[in-house]
Amino acid sequence: MKVIINNIEYEGLPGETLMELAKRNKVNIPNLCHKEGFEGQGRCRLCMVEAREGNKTKIVSACVYPIHDGLEVNTDSEKIRAMRKNIILLLLLKTPNNEYIKKLAEEYDVKAPERYMDFSINENCILCGLCVKACEKMGTSAISLVNRGTGKKVSTPFDDPSKDCIGCGACAQVCPTNAITMTEANGVRTIWNKEFKMVQCSICNKHYTTEEALDFIESRLGNEEEKVCDTCRKKIISEKFKESYKNIFGQP
Amino acid sequence: MASRKILVCCGTGCLANNSFDIYTRFLEKLKDTNTEVIPEIKATGCNGLCEKGPVVKILPDEISYFKVKAKDVDEIVSKTILKGEIIDRLLYFDTNSKKKIVSHKDASFYKHQHKIALRNIGEIDPKNIEDYKERNGFEALRKVLFEMTPDEVITEVEKSGLRGRGGAGFPTGSKWRTCSKYDNYPKYVVCNGDEGDPGAFMDRSIMEGDPNTVIEGMIICGYAINSNRGFLYIRDEYQLARENMQTAINNARKHGFLGKNILGSGFDFDLEIVRGGGAFVCGESSALMASIEGNVGEPRAKYIRSVEKGLWDKPTVLNNVETWANIPPIILNGAQWFKQIGTEKNSGTKVFSLVGKVKNTGLVEIPMGTTLRELVFDIGGGIIKDRPFKAAQTGGPSGGCIPAEYLDISLDFDNLSRIGSMMGSGGVIVMDDTTCMVELARYYMEFLSEESCGKCTTCREGINTMLNILNRITLGQGREEDIDLLISLSETIKDASLCGLGKTAPNPVMTTLKYFRDEYMEHIVDKRCPAGVCKNLTSYSIDPDTCIGCSACARKCPVNAIEGELKKPHVIHKDKCIKCGTCFTVCPSGAVKIGGGLIESYNK
Amino acid sequence: MTIDTIDINTIIHNYRPEKRFTLAILQDIQNKFNFIPKEAIFIISDYLKVPASDIYSMATFYKALSLKPKGRHIIKVCNGTACHIRGSNTLINELTDLLNIKPGETTADGLFSVEIVNCLGACALAPVMVVDDKYFGAMTKDKVIEVINEYKEAVENGK
Repeated sequence: MKVIINNIEYEGLPGETLMELAKRNKVNIPNLCHKEGFEGQGRCRLCMVEAREGNKTKIVSACVYPIHDGLEVNTDSEKIRAMRKNIILLLLLKTPNNEYIKKLAEEYDVKAPERYMDFSINENCILCGLCVKACEKMGTSAISLVNRGTGKKVSTPFDDPSKDCIGCGACAQVCPTNAITMTEANGVRTIWNKEFKMVQCSICNKHYTTEEALDFIESRLGNEEEKVCDTCRKKIISEKFKESYKNIFGQP
Repeated sequence: MASRKILVCCGTGCLANNSFDIYTRFLEKLKDTNTEVIPEIKATGCNGLCEKGPVVKILPDEISYFKVKAKDVDEIVSKTILKGEIIDRLLYFDTNSKKKIVSHKDASFYKHQHKIALRNIGEIDPKNIEDYKERNGFEALRKVLFEMTPDEVITEVEKSGLRGRGGAGFPTGSKWRTCSKYDNYPKYVVCNGDEGDPGAFMDRSIMEGDPNTVIEGMIICGYAINSNRGFLYIRDEYQLARENMQTAINNARKHGFLGKNILGSGFDFDLEIVRGGGAFVCGESSALMASIEGNVGEPRAKYIRSVEKGLWDKPTVLNNVETWANIPPIILNGAQWFKQIGTEKNSGTKVFSLVGKVKNTGLVEIPMGTTLRELVFDIGGGIIKDRPFKAAQTGGPSGGCIPAEYLDISLDFDNLSRIGSMMGSGGVIVMDDTTCMVELARYYMEFLSEESCGKCTTCREGINTMLNILNRITLGQGREEDIDLLISLSETIKDASLCGLGKTAPNPVMTTLKYFRDEYMEHIVDKRCPAGVCKNLTSYSIDPDTCIGCSACARKCPVNAIEGELKKPHVIHKDKCIKCGTCFTVCPSGAVKIGGGLIESYNK
Repeated sequence: MTIDTIDINTIIHNYRPEKRFTLAILQDIQNKFNFIPKEAIFIISDYLKVPASDIYSMATFYKALSLKPKGRHIIKVCNGTACHIRGSNTLINELTDLLNIKPGETTADGLFSVEIVNCLGACALAPVMVVDDKYFGAMTKDKVIEVINEYKEAVENGK
């Protein structure tokens, strides 16, 4: 399947979206709500591009657009650039104090008319929905997008500490704008209004996850997990790798 | 004498004026009345002319009474039913011909109409399946099941040129054709009864007044595309529609029109009602399907169409209520018959709900291609108080405003899109010179910002930003560069939004900017609202030369801000005035003038 | 709150445990209690095997559902376009003054909730107000006062 993006031809895989093809080939299409391994959502609209089919040009969102043979795409037409600037402007008006969005605005030379900027707004969430997706992928679905329209936000039911939340922090990790507050002090992690007792790494003693998250993974995998943090786990793996390398090829 | 029928309109409009009391009073009264033939009394669906309701029709005499009250029933029975006398007081006064009219069919409101989708409404008791059968009900289904192949059914619908009555006007036949080609089962048939466009209520009227035709249309589609299951998604607010539809479904099952082995044909089909949750966005097909599945009504990108992957990712045909109501007559009378009505690319009729500042408000079914002028003036009787026509808004929040220069446009899908509006579901809201177009655009942005599902940035934030800008303009804080920002944002929202709701959201702003830009400029530059709607930009004064000193304004002023001796010019004290506009409305001589409103000019 | 739980369970069991019935169940619960009690969200979640967060999303998305108790009488003022241009704002202002609450709120005595709704499909009667399920057409300021007094009196007379 041949797809042309900005005059360069790429080989597309069946079932791929335009965004997946672009990311696989390191073609930059700006986006905020897409992440590898997650299905496209079509929320942020930053990935709008021009797609040409026959004589018709239409504007589509790359993250949900299924590719097909002969598709021609322009990611940087004048129209698309103007649109992108307006979308960033809208995000800037919503989150005027967010560092990430401010940087994005600077990068794309977006200036909001001053009289429409309200710096007293202390919002960081752009409602990309990635946190909700991540929570769903974990199998917990403790948070969701609630309300509608401009009142939309991410929360647990009733903003209460949720019995489904395991404090894994996957939501905070995927958030592009750093909108989810997760604090850790004295072996306690606080996130979504709930406090979690943390578990120490048996090697380096660092508090690395929550008891609930560990229990959750154990119940999923059906066996007891070693209490090892990511950093130490990586170390062990690379040690093991070195070992086997040595066994096969002798001293490196 | 042929058997008599008394039809009492029990549509929502007439019910609001206690028409059910009229119906029960007739039942009681006639029980005690000694007549040779006791007339049949029926509670029917909406007759369309809700403004003049409750409506009572007497057949076969063809006598129609309007604005009837329960206390009139005794008189109707003793005079009209027993003696055949006509009660002059209850007749319809035709504002065009300035005459009283005996049969509603001669009234200019009805005379121009051509009823297909509304053919049974007002004539039958919607809860009685026999009434429907008497008027060829389920004959189309019989024909389809025993005389036509599924392919022939689809071909007939294709040939008729029927286009979806719910919005963009997509050809119904080709939708069915595409869906029939997918070999992925089960397939679904869905009726969109989530009518939400403000100003449109034809779907409500059809579901309430003739639910069987919708059911019959859906079964026919089921047969054509090989589906055995359908859903009717009906708006939360439409309780009576849901009740009547459920009764009709139950009756249809009892009579073998729904369920297993329909009429012995071997074809199975059944229907289920899903109650909407009160979200405008669920009128959008993919959001509607998400809602049926038990999810939040967020639309999805429709790069893969629902005829291929719709409800539960299965091939699905979704049409709106009015479209379904057109199917049985098309099958019975043939595509050729339908094609003759309307225009070449827009065959058949369209139901419009004619509302706003027009004399005869109500539901009207007219051939496609009828002009806006005919609709507003011939059928609608013109503007209330004969004020000037300023604009008509069609297509709901997704549509646009049509100015007076386009009064002679013939109404169809293509013409309306060409001038920046759209057919939508057929709401026509008529406006006079007291409607402020900037405020109207602001109103639509407010509506849409409340109803946006909030999934995509452009619709959620974009509409809200446009609303903020328009708020400022109507408050007198607008700047000229705001217009450019409005236009630029409109473009982005139109191109980048996820669903039809978002893509069309800027239309009210774009069309008012296109046709009424001067009015925007008056708000921004002169700080004046010429319609007297935006209170910050309005002041009232009395022209001493025109004032006849009748003191009507002074008497009606809620804050006693108007003074003057009888038969001498009156004066408005601007420090007391709350700008309610009552004086402007009640002045018989047009002496109350609307001026600019910012404080400086106000105290001048 | 134990009675609530029994009622909630009775309602839920009118439906098979399929996700597609979520909205219908929530509607029935809303009808029964005039709002969605907190515990209902979790009971439905258990019954349908759908995350509580999803049920909560639904309850906050659809306007027909409310997480706060509503008044005994629900007054809906239509602000559809036809009603808007025929002066629905006057009615809204009158109600706000008369009942001393803003749209979306409930009076302190729990008697009335006021809601602004978008088009009730009775445009020919504009402007329209609906109390519970009763329609009042061609409304004016004075008629608003009349209707409210009627309902107040009915309540005082114990109806």
